[in-house]
Amino acid sequence: MNEEYLWDKSGEPDPEIQRLEEILGTLRYQPKTFDVPPEILMRPRRSYVPLFAIAASLLLALLAGGIWLRTRTSQVPVDHSARETPAVVPTPSVPLFKPDVDAPPVVAKAEEKPIRVKQQRPRSRSVPAMSAQDRQEALAAKAQLMLALRLASEKLSEVQRKTTPVPSSPIKNQHKVG
Amino acid sequence: MYELEATADMILMSPQAIPAKAPKAEETPIEVSLVRAALEGDRDGFGRLYDLYTPLVHGILLSRVPRDEVDDLVQDIFLHAFKKLDTLRDWAAFGPWIAMIARNRAMDFHRRSRETVEITEDIRSTDQSTSRASEILDLVCELPDAYRETLVLRLVEGMTGPEIAARTGLTPASVRVNLHRGMKLLKVKLGFVEGL
Repeated sequence: MNEEYLWDKSGEPDPEIQRLEEILGTLRYQPKTFDVPPEILMRPRRSYVPLFAIAASLLLALLAGGIWLRTRTSQVPVDHSARETPAVVPTPSVPLFKPDVDAPPVVAKAEEKPIRVKQQRPRSRSVPAMSAQDRQEALAAKAQLMLALRLASEKLSEVQRKTTPVPSSPIKNQHKVG
Repeated sequence: MYELEATADMILMSPQAIPAKAPKAEETPIEVSLVRAALEGDRDGFGRLYDLYTPLVHGILLSRVPRDEVDDLVQDIFLHAFKKLDTLRDWAAFGPWIAMIARNRAMDFHRRSRETVEITEDIRSTDQSTSRASEILDLVCELPDAYRETLVLRLVEGMTGPEIAARTGLTPASVRVNLHRGMKLLKVKLGFVEGL
């Protein structure tokens, strides 16, 4: 058997292989045209580029937002001095009540003791100083808000009272029976 | 023993075992441009792929399914390939891709035909026009998968060894071995049958 002829049809032809080629060649594919039905359209190749672009821009926006928030919060200074130095409220020079003349004299040491008031830490230094008018408006708004909250709280408790079933009290029944 | 050798060859033929061909930068296979053209809606591009690869698909089917089913299956396979062409990642590997589709379709055919009445044997035996060729083809089809496919491509479709290797994605060494061993086995079988 001529192996080279079997491999690439080169060299001296092998008669046995040639005979087989002749016989089996009758079964060879007869060229036909390939008819693609017109209703079948080639689907365009899926492109993931726009999706990646959208995802990347969203990620960037999130990162930028996170960085901005972080820098903004870290810029607010903490006032440590407010915690360390307590405010001292001086005692009034005029007494609130008239001292009894017959009573023994009050120990002076007790009057001299300063009253310590816990001072609130300012949340942010960026709050501007308010004028008197602004302050009045703010107080009025606060009063309104408090009133609204109180009303809402009342309403809520009323609703709760209505919705919660009243437990039957055995003591009440006993009283009725009695 | 031959079955074992064939199995070993099939393992060698599997895509994992095939060393990746290092494509040269300046050398672009024609399949790449044809697949690109077909994906862009050029039906002639796919028509050329069809012309190039029909003998391969025909040969693969001929070595696996009854002859009278082959033509219809060839059309089905190319229609399927046309629809699914956008799923092909490596455009240069169009040949191995469509060869795999053809092998899978042949397996599907046998799976389905088991559920129906098998009358193809009777039909084949009464067909006298190409009885001699059919007899030899039947003998080829009795050989192990790796041998019969390569032999049909060589002897029926008239492809050379290097062409078979290029179209199927197998290594030339595998094709050469398959051709040699397959022909040896076929000669033994033919000697028993008719003393060709």
